[in-house]
Amino acid sequence: MHLFLLIGLLAFSILAILSRDLLKSAISLAVASIFLALVFFRMNAVYAGVFELSVVAGLITVLFITAITLTRGDGDVAESRGHRIVFPLFFLALAVVDLLVMKKLLGQIPAIQGSESGTFSQVLWNQRTFDLVGQVGAISAGVLAVLALFRRDDRHGNAASDGGDTGGRHE
Amino acid sequence: MLFLFIIVPLVLAGLLPLLGKVSKRLLPDLLASAAMLFLLVLAVFSARPLIADGGIIQQAFWFGAPLNIRLLLDGFSLFMLFTISLVSFAVTIYSINYMEHYGAKANYYALLLAMIAGMNGLVLSGDLFTLYVFLEVAAIASYALVAFGRGHDELEASFKYLMLSAVASAFVLLSIAVIFGVTGGVSFGAVAQGLKTLNIKYVVGFCSGLFLAGFGLKAALVPFHSWLPDAHPSAPAPISAMLSGVLIKVSGVYAMTRIFLGVFGLTPALTTVLTVMGIVSIFVGALAALGQNDIKRMLAYSSISQIGYVVLAFGIGTPLGILAGLFHLFNHALFKSLLFLNAGAVEQSTGTRSLDKMGGLAKVMPLTAVTSAIGSLAIAGVPPLNGFWSKLLIIIALVQAKMHVLAALAVLGSVITLWYYLVLQHQAFFGKLNEAWQGVKEAPFWMSAATVLLALLCIVTGLAFPFVIQSWLQPAADVLGKGVGVALNFIGF
Repeated sequence: MHLFLLIGLLAFSILAILSRDLLKSAISLAVASIFLALVFFRMNAVYAGVFELSVVAGLITVLFITAITLTRGDGDVAESRGHRIVFPLFFLALAVVDLLVMKKLLGQIPAIQGSESGTFSQVLWNQRTFDLVGQVGAISAGVLAVLALFRRDDRHGNAASDGGDTGGRHE
Repeated sequence: MLFLFIIVPLVLAGLLPLLGKVSKRLLPDLLASAAMLFLLVLAVFSARPLIADGGIIQQAFWFGAPLNIRLLLDGFSLFMLFTISLVSFAVTIYSINYMEHYGAKANYYALLLAMIAGMNGLVLSGDLFTLYVFLEVAAIASYALVAFGRGHDELEASFKYLMLSAVASAFVLLSIAVIFGVTGGVSFGAVAQGLKTLNIKYVVGFCSGLFLAGFGLKAALVPFHSWLPDAHPSAPAPISAMLSGVLIKVSGVYAMTRIFLGVFGLTPALTTVLTVMGIVSIFVGALAALGQNDIKRMLAYSSISQIGYVVLAFGIGTPLGILAGLFHLFNHALFKSLLFLNAGAVEQSTGTRSLDKMGGLAKVMPLTAVTSAIGSLAIAGVPPLNGFWSKLLIIIALVQAKMHVLAALAVLGSVITLWYYLVLQHQAFFGKLNEAWQGVKEAPFWMSAATVLLALLCIVTGLAFPFVIQSWLQPAADVLGKGVGVALNFIGF
């Protein structure tokens, strides 16, 4: 069973990289992530499995597909025309899966948590506090990066279209 | 108190985009420079007495309440904190004038501060996983800073850097996972203890290989260097100075050295790999720099070459080798930042980075020419400047370790360095002034102040090198010289 899951994980990961269509690529990544989540569950890493399934397979895929949908067809990347149908369908499918599976999966958490007397939160909040500060830093850096790179030019001149072989920007 | 090194830049980074709405220039300039000065003063006056009796572990507090955060400070981490703070301060005051034409200063300073918080966190962590988390903080901020200009070249360089850096992070994380699997811990002390009791040299070898590739990519050692010649020149000049001057050293060399020397213990195999990678980097970087026409690209290749010297020196593993490596690391932070800042001043005044188009700029930019000459001579190892002493120590350490061929090659590498820096100086500043630059003016006040500060430090560090070694380098070298003994003292950390 493990072998089957790992082959599935590998196959869909490769498909995600090789696919020329961004949408197919994002979906392949989500499927690969589901395989990985199943591996986590089978190895009793329930928290890792839940996060993998809900965040990586779910949330991030939705974000990817939203971003692809918002992208206009004027770029170099070939886009599937069916994204308007595929996106809501995928979203719906994800919601159904969430409803059917996630409740059961999440239901498993207290059982394990009980046996380990709240280890997860204890580890996260008490033992790895320094890492939490680092994670806050990493997320802040990401947000600041978005703010900086998608800024509106508040100067005369157009930095966005500036470039050239020397990158010079003489005023 | 040590927590301030992380929390001050991090909190300010969060506030700056908001404060930038109130004041676009003055407040961001003032706050960022004040924060950097504060961190520099903190490193010099408050943190230094703490290591009087060796390394310490300090608990962090937040408004009087103790947090479950323990920060590790010893001679090596303090030395790195000082280097980061010093270069950051120079870069920040330089940015006051330089970043005017980019706009969005508040966002720029916020990213710079986030990068500094990441580097400080990395240096103060006594745990492999925390080190990794802060490595990512600094890396994420640096991707955005490379792409800050948002031109085609910047975005392409940033993407390349992001991709290769992500691979590096994956290697590092995988290695940490394997170490956690076999030792059951991630703190330096627990890992050092675990590896000491377990006889698993093949696993250690595998993890060392992953760390070497991961941190080698971050440090841009050959053959993992391909991202650097794109990323460093594409960034705004102060960021190039930060990346080449500090970031590759903190996220590459510091992390690698801390783990290899302080946690794993240096083995003969690692010595061989590090010295070979060091010497290959020296030559690949130097020969590639020789053929460059873009001033910043030449400096970027030169960084690969000089990082080669640092890694070569650490690879020797003898007390003198370690001391020499640290000294060259510090010196390179000073003169490479200086040279990138000078290149930025020239680029801003002339609008080009092409050496062919420059010429005679010393007549119109005398201060920049003088500071650039000091930086060039220092990096080439001309006495009595700082680069001479560190390279001399590296060569003596190689001779002492009976690595005569490597010593000869190191001298040859230094000669090539002198060659391409003379080419740079000659093409940019000497000769007949290109008519197009008749109207060019000297760099503005704060830009000049930053370059003069760094140039003076190059001279002072050269002239007063026994004092610098005694006060800053020896405590750091002692920590590394003790090998895993230091980590074992912090078991239970």
